[in-house]
Amino acid sequence: MSNNWEMVIGLEVHAQLKTSSKLFSSSPNQFGSEPNENVNFIDSGMPGMLPVMNFGCIEMAIKTGYALNFKINKYSVFERKNYFYPDLPQGYQISQFEFPILSEGYINIDSGDNQKKIRIERAHLEQDAGKSIHDIDPKYSFIDLNRVGTPLLEIVSYPDLSSADEVINYMSSLRQLLMYIDVCDGNMQEGSLRADVNLSVRKKGQELGTRCEIKNLNSFKFIKQAIEYEFQRQINIIDGGGEIEQNTMLFDTSTGETRAMRSKEFSHDYRYFPDPDLLPVNLSQEQIDKIKPLVGELPQDKLNKYLDNYSLDKDIAKIIIAEKQNANLFEKMISESTVKPKFIAAWLVGDIFAFIKENNLEVNSLNDKTKDITDLLKLISDDVISNKAGKEILPKVLNGEGKPSELVKELGLEQVSDSGELEKIIDEALVGEEENILKFQGGSDRVLGYFVGKCLKATKGKGNPKLINKILLEKLKK
Amino acid sequence: MSDIDIKRISYLAKLKLPSEKEEFYSNSLKDIIKWVDNLKKVDTSKTEPLHNVTEKTVSIRNDEVSKSNSVDDVLSNAPERAQNFFKVPKVVE
Repeated sequence: MSNNWEMVIGLEVHAQLKTSSKLFSSSPNQFGSEPNENVNFIDSGMPGMLPVMNFGCIEMAIKTGYALNFKINKYSVFERKNYFYPDLPQGYQISQFEFPILSEGYINIDSGDNQKKIRIERAHLEQDAGKSIHDIDPKYSFIDLNRVGTPLLEIVSYPDLSSADEVINYMSSLRQLLMYIDVCDGNMQEGSLRADVNLSVRKKGQELGTRCEIKNLNSFKFIKQAIEYEFQRQINIIDGGGEIEQNTMLFDTSTGETRAMRSKEFSHDYRYFPDPDLLPVNLSQEQIDKIKPLVGELPQDKLNKYLDNYSLDKDIAKIIIAEKQNANLFEKMISESTVKPKFIAAWLVGDIFAFIKENNLEVNSLNDKTKDITDLLKLISDDVISNKAGKEILPKVLNGEGKPSELVKELGLEQVSDSGELEKIIDEALVGEEENILKFQGGSDRVLGYFVGKCLKATKGKGNPKLINKILLEKLKK
Repeated sequence: MSDIDIKRISYLAKLKLPSEKEEFYSNSLKDIIKWVDNLKKVDTSKTEPLHNVTEKTVSIRNDEVSKSNSVDDVLSNAPERAQNFFKVPKVVE
C-alpha cells in the first residue's frame, strides 16, 4: 500500500572541478594516470607541508554561484573534518563547514508538465580522498592517492524532491549547468559527478520521518534503483510496526539493494575546527564581479533565444540545448549560413544526430564540417535537390567524401526545376487522362496526388515536387 | 560538565586502552576539561568569533601544474609498497 506514502528526498552532489591542478597543491588534477603518479608531499600528508589555495577553484565556485542562483559569500572558512582512513593521509579532509562559499541557491526542474523550484541550501569547496583497492590481495588493501586533493564542490539541496524522476531531473539539470559553465566534465562513470541521496518516508501530509543516507551513487540508473528500493524498505519496516534507524547505506549494484554501512555504535564524530594552515577566504566585490561575464549563456537563455529569435519548436530546441556541444554546433551552422535556423535545427536533430549515434561519434567531431553541412542544407532549401536526395548525400558529406555540390553532380541528383522542361513532362502525362481531369474538376483532390506521382515518375524522381504541383494545378484548373 | 565516554574517545584516537586504566584516564581528562572550562568565565556575548589570529586573507596561487617529486619519492616512506601502490592492512568499511 505505497499509495498513501510519499518520499522526501534531499541530495548532496559532489562535483569534481575541472581545474588543471588540485585544490591545495599544484599536482595534476587528472583521471586515469598511473597509481600515485599525481601525488606530491602535500597530497600525501607529509609533515610540515602547507596547503596553498588554488584560485581557479574559487573562480569555478563563483561561476556555479551565478548559474545556480546562489548568494556568493565574500567570507568563507576552511575547516578540518577529522576521520581516519588509509586513503586520507592527512587524517582529515579540508572542507568548509560553518561558512561555505555559496548559500541559498535554487534551480527550476521539470516535474510532469510543470516546473518545480528546488532550493539548494549551500555549496562548499572540499578535497576528495584517495582510492582503496581491496580486491588485489586477500590480506591487504592497495592505496592510490592520485585523487587526494582533487577539488570538489559539494552541492546540498533542501529536501524538496519527492520522486525518483524528480531526483533524476534535478541531477541532470545540475550536470547540464555545470557542463555549460565549464566547471565539471559531468562524466559520472569516472566519478566526476556523484550523489548521496537522503531519503525518508511519511504518510501524505504528516511530519518528516527519520532519514537514511545512500552514499556515492554515480549513475542515473543506480540513483533510480536505490531510491525505489529504499522507499519500499522503509515502508515495509514501518508497516511491520518497526522504526527507521538513521543510517548510512550502501547501494549494492549487483543486487539492487541498499544495506547499512556504518555501525551505529561508533557513529562518526568529525570534530570540525578551522584549519590553522589556511586563512579565511576574503573576496572583494570586484573579484566576484569580474567572474560574472565568464558564466556565459545558460541553457535557459539559449532556450529563450531559440524560441523567440529562431522560432524553433520547443521539443527540438530542448534537444539542442541538452548539451552545450549541440548548441555550439547549431550556432556555428547558423553563423556560417543563410539557411533558416528552423530548417537547420530540423536536420540537426533528425538525420545529423542519427548519423552521430549510428557511428558512435562525438558531436564535437562535426565542428569542422559545418560549412559542408550548411552548403548541403542550402541546396535542399533552395530546391536544387530534393529532400530525399539530401538524405542520400548527407552521410557522404559527414564522412568527408566530397563537397555537396560535387556529390550532387556525381550522383546525378540535381532536381529538375526548369519550369519549361517540367511543363513538357506534365503535358505528356496528361495525355489520355481526360476522365481523371474531369474527376478533379468535379472536386476529387485525390486525383492530384495521382498526377504528381505520375509526373515525378516521368522525371525519374528528380522533378521538383513543389513546382510540379504548382504547374499541374494551373493546368488542371483551366 | 558532561560525562566522558572514554571507550569512544580511545576509539576515535585509535588508541588501545586497557580496562583497568579507563578510570584513571577518564579522571585525568575530566581534570583537563575542568581547567579549560575556566575560559567560559570570560563574557564573550559581545565578541565576534575569530577563525584566525591574523586579519589577513588566504594566500592564493594560479591554477598551474608543477611536479616536484617522483612516485618513488612519495612511496619512499611507505611501510610496504606493491608496484606503485601503498600496501596497507586490509581496511574495508
